[in-house]
Amino acid sequence: MVAEIITSIFGSYTPLAVLIVLILGALIMPGIQMFGKRHLATWAVALVLVLIAMAIDICLLVDSYIGTALNIVIWDPYTSLMSLLFLVVLFLVVLVSHSSTETTKSHSGAYYALLFAAATGMVFVTTQTDLLTIFVGVELTSISSYALVALKRRDGRAAEAAVKYAIIGGMSTALTLYGISMVYGMAGSTQIGAIADYIRMTTEFSWAFGVGIIAMIAGYGFKIAAVPFHMWAPDVYEGAATPVSMFLATGSKKMGLAVFMQVFLMMFVYADVFGQMYGEVSQYTFAIIAAVTMTVGNVVAIAQGNIKRMLAYSSIAQAGYILIMMAVMTPEAASAGLFHMFTHVFMKGGAFLIVGALICAGIGEKITDYKGLAKRAPFLAAAMMIFLFSLAGIPPLAGFTSKFFLFASAVGVPGASSGEFVWLAFIAILNSAISLYYYARVVKAMYIEKGTSTEKIKIPKAFLIAIVICLVFVVLLGVYPDLIYNYCELAIGI
Amino acid sequence: MSFILSSLIIIPLIGAIIALAMGGSRENYSKFVAIGFSAVTLVIALLILLGIFGDFESLDESFEWIHNSTFIMNYALTIDGLSVLMVFLTALLVLLVNIFSMDEHRENNNYFYALIMAMEVGLMGVYLACDYFLFYIMWEITLIPMYFMISWYGGPRRHYSAIKFFIYTHVASLVMLIGFFVLGYESVAEGPVNFSFDAIKEGIVAAGLEIQSLIFVMLFFGFMVKMPAVPFHTWLPDAHTEAPTEGSVLLAGVMLKMGSYGIIRICIEALPDAAHYWQWVIIAIAILSIIYGAYGCIAQTDLKKMVAFSSISHMGMVMLGIGCLSEAGITFAVFQMFAHGLITAMLFMVCGMTGHKVGTREIPLLGGLAGRMPIYATFMMIAFMASLGLPGLVGFWGEFPVIFAFYEFILANNVIWMLLFCMLSLMLTAGYYLWAMQRTLFGPETTKIDLSTAHDVGHFEFAVLLVLSILVAFFGVWPDAALQFLEPYASALVGVI
Repeated sequence: MVAEIITSIFGSYTPLAVLIVLILGALIMPGIQMFGKRHLATWAVALVLVLIAMAIDICLLVDSYIGTALNIVIWDPYTSLMSLLFLVVLFLVVLVSHSSTETTKSHSGAYYALLFAAATGMVFVTTQTDLLTIFVGVELTSISSYALVALKRRDGRAAEAAVKYAIIGGMSTALTLYGISMVYGMAGSTQIGAIADYIRMTTEFSWAFGVGIIAMIAGYGFKIAAVPFHMWAPDVYEGAATPVSMFLATGSKKMGLAVFMQVFLMMFVYADVFGQMYGEVSQYTFAIIAAVTMTVGNVVAIAQGNIKRMLAYSSIAQAGYILIMMAVMTPEAASAGLFHMFTHVFMKGGAFLIVGALICAGIGEKITDYKGLAKRAPFLAAAMMIFLFSLAGIPPLAGFTSKFFLFASAVGVPGASSGEFVWLAFIAILNSAISLYYYARVVKAMYIEKGTSTEKIKIPKAFLIAIVICLVFVVLLGVYPDLIYNYCELAIGI
Repeated sequence: MSFILSSLIIIPLIGAIIALAMGGSRENYSKFVAIGFSAVTLVIALLILLGIFGDFESLDESFEWIHNSTFIMNYALTIDGLSVLMVFLTALLVLLVNIFSMDEHRENNNYFYALIMAMEVGLMGVYLACDYFLFYIMWEITLIPMYFMISWYGGPRRHYSAIKFFIYTHVASLVMLIGFFVLGYESVAEGPVNFSFDAIKEGIVAAGLEIQSLIFVMLFFGFMVKMPAVPFHTWLPDAHTEAPTEGSVLLAGVMLKMGSYGIIRICIEALPDAAHYWQWVIIAIAILSIIYGAYGCIAQTDLKKMVAFSSISHMGMVMLGIGCLSEAGITFAVFQMFAHGLITAMLFMVCGMTGHKVGTREIPLLGGLAGRMPIYATFMMIAFMASLGLPGLVGFWGEFPVIFAFYEFILANNVIWMLLFCMLSLMLTAGYYLWAMQRTLFGPETTKIDLSTAHDVGHFEFAVLLVLSILVAFFGVWPDAALQFLEPYASALVGVI
């Protein structure tokens, strides 16, 4: 009963424990750096705090702790699981940030503080059931992210990316708020449960409510870079420092998906509207968004010459896969979606980490710069190959297993296969085939094409550790998915 | 529980990893690793075949691998009369291919051998798996090394052919995967789906014929493209033309058999009612493949492409045997798979050597090679004769009993005129082989190309072709050596369908 250790320390504030540690981090980081520019100390304290938060979170997760604090923060297995995901991302980013040449050293206090603030927002979102408080959490993360992108100073691309990100982010925020106000106007509450009740009770279609929901989908669609709201993602991921890109691609995006799940999935599932007007319409809306998002992401990724842009488009496509759960709206689909979010952290995170490590070693971001890498850095090339194959869904890696669960959920549930979303499963698997094409191009550059140099590449130790962690989980979750998948089912409640 | 069947998968896997790691100055030694590991695999396969490890049933392995509220997936391996021959064929051909390519000097040799060994992992897995999840994983694993084999080591149009091969067969396997999902969901009333072959076979009986025949179509499509059957065959000639000889041998020798193996193992075993429902469709596709493949052969000028088309025709013969759904039909269909594996390996090796030693595979440019390359010509003749079904060689026992089984079938159904198709195919097969042989080997020596650098077979190539020739003759005069495994399996299968 490891959760008791945590409750004995935090008492009735246990649901806030992780948040307390993260907020503490956000507040003390600039202070630590003030003491004579001790970048190493800042980094070490940040790392220790993340590990503490992770330890607390894992303790709460394994005992499936459920609790409420201050009447607004609800901690349950779902929160624990999603927080674990965010904390893993935070841990990986913090781990490599000190060694990366891209993250600015002169502002390390601000940098870590922003990372912690963003993570606080993410964890906070998963503890909420009210549209407005969810909105607050999302904004905390978003505003911190704009600043994080801009922190890579004296780089034109980063400045452009930050401005673009801030403007588009601001627009999506406005859209979301507009949608929330419409929904509030019709349903009379911002509580998701109350809105669900409204949907269940109402008998005639209301345009105001529909527009409100659509505006919210669009607003949050920007956050997860769903097509057609995806334009900012490649520029931002390319312009930002690679650890930050990784944070955005694997962390922020998951927060957006968590919001989708908490707001829309819960709303419609609570309302039990399957086969009724709002349910049917929303299912097909999400199905179309999912299909278009994965297709556009994969097709455009083929044309990319910059590996960060390619990874950006591929993570757009991955968000499309995860959106399948929104279309299918079964518990099986939701837990498969959660599981895919987890595997995506390790495979996409690993790929970004390798790109970041190679930038530190002086290798460019173009795919052509990766020529002959297998001879220069055999381990990195092999790891990159495994991450990319996992993203493409090659067995027996994590990406295959999670896609298997996800696509299976589109075909039906045990006891009944339904033909409704089989087409979505077809499109998704077809997309996996397309994606292998551009991943294989990188593998070919690394293994077959001759590079200009044969000098061995040395990368910082921290990167190596982070990459090994990702690699272990990509293989482990591939051959033993139950490790996380059982918690996904627990979080969804099956 | 023994781990003998697992060792057939794990040993090549270790070989692949070691070969992959042997970069740089050691890359030329990777071939010895590949030969060593594939030889050990062959020895184990041979010992299983000879029954040294005891009955096949005693070798079964099964572990629960993934268990959650939606799925139960097992790491389950089994071997029986059907798979044992395929396992033996895989182990044999991989070793022979490794030896065959000893003299070749290519860049990044270690990746080449790693790919071959990785392919062996997947192939062994497909033939041993008795769980749908494991089967699908292994099925996909074979695809990736073959894609890279063609794309990295192939001929001038290799990128086009590799991507065509990949997308074609991958799309087919996605249809198959969705078929698996439906099959799994329909086989249980509620609770987790157990993906083991036995559990699905028991559960799916409860589903109606309508849903069974729908699943059958999805699975059959996936397998049919792999075989390949007309009209979904167009990836094959391209893939073969561009693939390196070693790739072609494995592709035609054992990978195409995955398709027909899947039809028997999954479509027929799990969905027998649906198989009867679609019987005429299967037979129609089979006949179409036989005739179209044979016609295609006549039109080809590239020797290798001709052999590729002959594969379509011969795999059509396999499907015809399966389509009869009788004991003789299935027995000899599987025997034809085995025979075709041996013969086609020889054919592709000979064709590959033509391109390599003479400089071109274009039949109109060749002529009179027998005088300059007598040993090569001998092997080519043996391979061609075996393939056209000369009595005394293994091809005879593949083709003619299948036609006999088909004869029984059409007699029972009163459509005796359909025998004409078989006659036509036999004539065409004999025709294109003899014609090709005459144009390449005999007659006056060609003056269209420079033959002064052409040389006869090397030592390793000779050894490999000799082994294959001996096996072709051995199973030709004593087919019972293979049939003894098949007959019990087929009679048990036909008993339940």
